[in-house]
Amino acid sequence: MMRTIEILFVIIIILGAAVIASLYAFLPQPQQVSPINLQRLALTTLEMLDSDHSLSQTAFAAVNDPSWSQLQTALSASLPPNIVYNLTVYDASAGGTQLYNIINSISNAQSMGISSDVATYLVASSNATFNSTPQKIGANGAGGTLYILNCSDSNGWWITGYTAQTLAQDLYNLLFPYFQVTIMVQNTTQFGQILNGTKISTSPFENVTNAVVVNTNGEAVPMPQSYNTTGYDSGNSSYAKYSYLLGKATAQYNWTWVSIVGYPLYYVSNTGLFPNNQNGWGIYGMMEVGASGLNAFFEGLNNQSYVYNPTWITGDSTSDPGLASVYLSSDAQNNCNYYGIYPSQYQTATRALPVSILSMYNLTVTSYILQEVDNAWLPGAFYKHAGAGALLALGLARTPDIRLTALGLLCGFKPRLFPSQYGATGTSRLVVLQLSEVGGV
Amino acid sequence: MAGATIDHIFAIIVFLATLLLFVGLFNQTIQTAILYQSHRNLATECSDLLDSMLLNPGTPLDSATTTFWGMTNCTPTTFGLQDPEFVQYELSPFSLMRLDYSSASPLYYNMTNMYYSNLTVGPGKSLLVPFNEVVNYSTAAQLLGVNGTYGFSLTLNPIMTVSLSPSSFNPLSLTVNVTGNGYPIADANVSYCLINVTGQATYPSYAITSGTGLTNSQGQAFLSFPGFNAAQNSYAVVAYVSSSGLYGTGNYEHNLYNNNYPVPLIADFGNGSLLFANSADVYGGTSPAIAYNATFVLLAQDFNLRELPLTNVTGNISPGTYSNVVIPTNNTGILVVTYEKDQNDSGIVLMPWGVSSLSFPVVFGPNPLAQNWVTTDTRLVTVSSVSYQAKLALWSLQGYQVVS
Repeated sequence: MMRTIEILFVIIIILGAAVIASLYAFLPQPQQVSPINLQRLALTTLEMLDSDHSLSQTAFAAVNDPSWSQLQTALSASLPPNIVYNLTVYDASAGGTQLYNIINSISNAQSMGISSDVATYLVASSNATFNSTPQKIGANGAGGTLYILNCSDSNGWWITGYTAQTLAQDLYNLLFPYFQVTIMVQNTTQFGQILNGTKISTSPFENVTNAVVVNTNGEAVPMPQSYNTTGYDSGNSSYAKYSYLLGKATAQYNWTWVSIVGYPLYYVSNTGLFPNNQNGWGIYGMMEVGASGLNAFFEGLNNQSYVYNPTWITGDSTSDPGLASVYLSSDAQNNCNYYGIYPSQYQTATRALPVSILSMYNLTVTSYILQEVDNAWLPGAFYKHAGAGALLALGLARTPDIRLTALGLLCGFKPRLFPSQYGATGTSRLVVLQLSEVGGV
Repeated sequence: MAGATIDHIFAIIVFLATLLLFVGLFNQTIQTAILYQSHRNLATECSDLLDSMLLNPGTPLDSATTTFWGMTNCTPTTFGLQDPEFVQYELSPFSLMRLDYSSASPLYYNMTNMYYSNLTVGPGKSLLVPFNEVVNYSTAAQLLGVNGTYGFSLTLNPIMTVSLSPSSFNPLSLTVNVTGNGYPIADANVSYCLINVTGQATYPSYAITSGTGLTNSQGQAFLSFPGFNAAQNSYAVVAYVSSSGLYGTGNYEHNLYNNNYPVPLIADFGNGSLLFANSADVYGGTSPAIAYNATFVLLAQDFNLRELPLTNVTGNISPGTYSNVVIPTNNTGILVVTYEKDQNDSGIVLMPWGVSSLSFPVVFGPNPLAQNWVTTDTRLVTVSSVSYQAKLALWSLQGYQVVS
């Protein structure tokens, strides 16, 4: 009898343990077992309703505007029938004690149930203009002068479809906000002046030293008449020595020399000096230098003695099939968004420079505009010399996209953009969409 | 002594029975908890899988060099449906065209000796893609990494339902009904075009009349075409509707003759080439030769319909022959093929170039109805500006370990 009583006690204890354990074994609500991702659904709903900026317009419309009822209809039409919603628009004001003031709220239910989720979406007024002020290159240090070769007495090559002057104007429009001063070099005489270290404008910001010089003539480079003798290598009947002197000047003044397309420094151009000479393709006013021009430039930049070297060094798709399609570097793609310049991400390189120039001439790539190909070719990059001077070379096929040049310079100097109206009042509204499921499982 | 033993035995039996009951109770609780966790895990997996489909364009990706898998014939190496030129939940209408829709049985065309994935939403409205160019369910499951572990069914349905019905034939009047989830959508902008077959020559010609309208409080817009006798003409009306960020499309065709007609079959996604087959070779039926005239209309950025010229747009198709035409654009639109057997027997066939242009629905994957437990998740997406609801149904293929 005693054992039966003991056993009854044990039974009571065990069942008691089961009951107590069951009370503490918390199971989720049926809706939470297999939930719809309401946050994502809300976000995609807001994004879709704003795909043509309708949501932004409604958020800034008067409370009695018919667009609010259209928005309510659109919400009811979009969301699954078992979803209830509450959409509230807040004015994101900067002043006052309350940061967010309710503008309007629409809903299809009195209560949002036991659990809900929200997504938020910031919309901007179509009347607001968000400005940004670029940091000026050289504002806190040396440089800040941009020279664009816009020489009326020289012709261009591999800029087919454009003239050097139109490219110069486009480049001016793209880059002048980023430099202390942007100067159009109107003729080869002015170019000769800056090669001698003389300023050509009255701007107090002009500084020949540390300047950026963009050659908009493509594969040709303007040559001042004064260099007709000193830039001529009579032994080899070549103007490669002029390119050598350009390289020396680049190092002397710590310039950044910019070649926008093709084989850099392949021709020299001066319509006064070479009125009867053409480049073999019917463009008069220029003389072919060939591959020796770039080699001589590097020799000058690297402070070597001048040696005539006509060796062709660039590569194209026959050298490496990978050059047939080259891509913007991740840094350049990122800067496309930052600076709002969007050239095509895919280009064709026919004059890519070899990686071997880096060790040969003490160069370092500080910024890749286009991705390196097979660790051997550089279709577009910003090179800095170990001493002084830099080169931005885009070895792409004609016709040039001048936006790439602008992007390349911005990648190289990375000026910051300071947004000026982020704190403006009344230009942003916050839309909050709260969703909840109705019905059980 | 015997009484004590019986007492002892009775006590042990009762104790063991209680212990079993206790274990059973705990087992039930633990089993339920594990099932709940499995279902919740499935819901999380469903949300992740849906996002990975909708927020990833897949590879090959390079649309500039026409190697984007949605616009070529290649098999993707990673699966995704996002439009590579956009961000967020904007899907490629061409990637969706390359999916093998499971809802219809395939069609065989003996002239090419190939089977075609068959998405037909009505007479003369079909999208037929050769099987060697579609991405089937098992390939997609493998690329998504769920082959053998989860089954899924992806459904995309247009949010707006735009239906057109004639209210009078001479002159033609049409009523456009615009709804979403059953709600009438008032004050919606309607942009429409009437394509009228005017077959009086060797090949049928056509005339396009465009216009705009607005829906009333019942979500209805009334389109009228004075002087157009619908009873004596073949025609199609395509309408695009927009309201508060939602976009939808609908269409209506009227054919005087549809015993046989040209059937557009996709030949090559890469270059946009199509075949026009005689319907007798595809669906059977009578087999006279038919003359056709094709054009392409696309939805411009201002949501008006624009005509895009094609080359080799006229011809004759006898049974046992077919013609070729190339759509020279990567924009979505509608291929409109007018046809005639003779001057009194004409008709019109529509084919979407990009599923969104005719609001074709998409169902990709097996039917989930027979599965033990199915979880779903939903996103709202746009496909070439047309609003769709994307729903993924997901289920486990490995069973639930706590139940046999």
